[in-house]
Amino acid sequence: MIHPARRTHRRRFLKHSAALAASAGALGFPAIARAQSGPIKVGVLHPVTGFLAYSGNLSRLGARIAIDEINASGGIKSLGGAKLEAMLGDAQSKPEVGVAEVEKMNQAGVSAIVGAYASSICLATTQAAAKYNIPHVVDVGVADQIVERGLKNTFRFGPGYKVITQDAINYFHIMNTLARKPARTVMIIHEESLFGTGTASLLSRELPGLGYEVKEVIKHANPTRDFNNVVLRIKAVNPDVVIPANYYNEYALLVRTMKQQNVQPKAIFSVLGGAASSFKFVKEFPDVANGVIDVNHWYNPQDKRAVALRKKVEGMKEFYTYEVFLNYQAVYLLADAISRARSRDRDAIVSALAGSTWGGHFMPYGPTRFVNGQNQGARPLVLQVLQNDIKVVLPNTYAQTDPVFPWKA
Amino acid sequence: MRGLAGIAAFAVAIALMPAFVTSGYALNAMIMTLYAALLGQAWNVLGGFGGQFSFGHALFFGTGAYTMAVLQVNFGWNAWAALPAALAAGGAIGAAIGALTFRYGLRGSYFALVTLAFAEVFRILANTFQFTGAGVGLMVPLSERAADMQFATRAGYLYLILALVLVGFLVSWWLKHSRYGAWLQAVRDNEESAAALGVDVLRVKLQAIVVSGVLMAAGGAFYVQYLHYIDPHIAYGPAVSVEALLAPIIGGMGTVWGPLLGAALLHVLGETTRNLMGDAPGINLAVYGIVLVLMVSFLPRGVMGLLGTRRAARAAGDA
Repeated sequence: MIHPARRTHRRRFLKHSAALAASAGALGFPAIARAQSGPIKVGVLHPVTGFLAYSGNLSRLGARIAIDEINASGGIKSLGGAKLEAMLGDAQSKPEVGVAEVEKMNQAGVSAIVGAYASSICLATTQAAAKYNIPHVVDVGVADQIVERGLKNTFRFGPGYKVITQDAINYFHIMNTLARKPARTVMIIHEESLFGTGTASLLSRELPGLGYEVKEVIKHANPTRDFNNVVLRIKAVNPDVVIPANYYNEYALLVRTMKQQNVQPKAIFSVLGGAASSFKFVKEFPDVANGVIDVNHWYNPQDKRAVALRKKVEGMKEFYTYEVFLNYQAVYLLADAISRARSRDRDAIVSALAGSTWGGHFMPYGPTRFVNGQNQGARPLVLQVLQNDIKVVLPNTYAQTDPVFPWKA
Repeated sequence: MRGLAGIAAFAVAIALMPAFVTSGYALNAMIMTLYAALLGQAWNVLGGFGGQFSFGHALFFGTGAYTMAVLQVNFGWNAWAALPAALAAGGAIGAAIGALTFRYGLRGSYFALVTLAFAEVFRILANTFQFTGAGVGLMVPLSERAADMQFATRAGYLYLILALVLVGFLVSWWLKHSRYGAWLQAVRDNEESAAALGVDVLRVKLQAIVVSGVLMAAGGAFYVQYLHYIDPHIAYGPAVSVEALLAPIIGGMGTVWGPLLGAALLHVLGETTRNLMGDAPGINLAVYGIVLVLMVSFLPRGVMGLLGTRRAARAAGDA
């Protein structure tokens, strides 16, 4: 005879097992459906919720505009005018959610993935995509490790962190030399995560070699809602140049506080500055934005297509930020590869990307050439906010005007 | 031995999964569910069985994750050698925090706040020191070999997390069936009475936080091996602490199966809302939140509580 307690236990176990089985069923085990006809599925993966939502949504916008344009102009012609179909994914600003989205996209049979904005998410998604050899075009993700791990499926169109900071240091030195060296001392104000800390340590290592004295490095938390003490410190140290390395809110607040306390260095010079190369900043705080110099992702201002896209995006009441145009171009890069591969097959697209010599973009990169997945020609530009607009001031090939340095308020 | 048979059957069922399921999506979903279950089991030891609600379990998670990453990246340790060190570090931090808080009789919301504060302190420390990579974080080099505790297939990771979850199950089962578990639950239900009956309250609580810390550190170690990257925000941020306490609260606190059930439900809920509302960012999270609020309001004892109530009602009907 079975003891009653024992029976209930067994029943309870059965119930638990049933619940587990039900949840496993709900997860679904769909077969991989990679269609050979119909639209070509492209995973558009960004952090559209969570703390990166602002950038993620602008990234998604850029990719969607490109997909709509390509479809409106007849799709991929070498595949009989096949249309691109965006499969939208949300990484929720977390790497592990990004991985889950890649798995879902693989299941849905995407031919490629564009994304995923933040370096930490890109590190995870490129690797997850590599398991299925899904071509992954990295839109922004500037951490250099993304393209240093030997993943054959990963391609970054834009410049990485080392190139950007090295260029920034060189341009800074050129600019200062041309102006007969008014700047000798700098002060770095940076946020505490990967981007700010990395920039600060690289700059404080490299600048002394070029004859600059790094007087002080100040780190602040994210978010910081009061910069009065930091600015008092800047006032006391009185550096020639202030270098901020932080995100939009903190950047804007720092520069505003400097204005309020009447702290006016010879230049505010930033690398990938959170607010500096942003039309949002220029529009919201025109009085403090003018004069700010930044080294950042930017388009060739002489290219009419870049200007046309700006009009289009502004017509949609959105800001024309680097998230928008880098994703826009990443989709076009992919479309070019699919078109040349004459296939929606992942391996064929990976090969086409690896051998890509695409020059049909409006970035200052020249034709693409990928070595270990990094586009060799990718470079940032030096920008300055002048007369409530963002102008390219260096290098001369793309410059719209000369830099105003030292800045006089 | 009754509960053990169920646990064994569960382990066998999951272990056989890779033979039938080839979908990476489904395997990844199982891995992430088991991972959430492990975090839940860890929290459940202290919060569910011991009644000490922590809001800062990220403290142990991050310590395990960073120990794993630092030993591999800075000291060139093998991942399998680093794992015991990571577990020990989680336990040691547990002992230290326990000694600081329980000795002074902190409980309830005071204990919760102190754990939250410690997690935040550790986040700032990890953000400052060079050996933790400061704000840049640490990246474990990609080397998909079992000898480096990295696997080319999802199945490898599934076995790894299953093994850790099994340890969590055995601990929970032991708490249900051992003298120590009875002491711990007595402390949860009424600390003064337990002390009056001769239970060494401080020691029991200290042991619980150490075990909880070790299990949570295992979760952190797994995270690093699975995603190869850790930074202060991921390691010590509040998201992990919340994830750890949600599963047992939803599933049923102080039960053996609660954390797993809660983790599975949360995963299904998260995936369903995400799939239903993929194009409108954020709506899924709002729905997810509302469902959570409803579940907590109407099922204060979790899903296991619901199962228990229905069984009790039926027993009453039979009588």
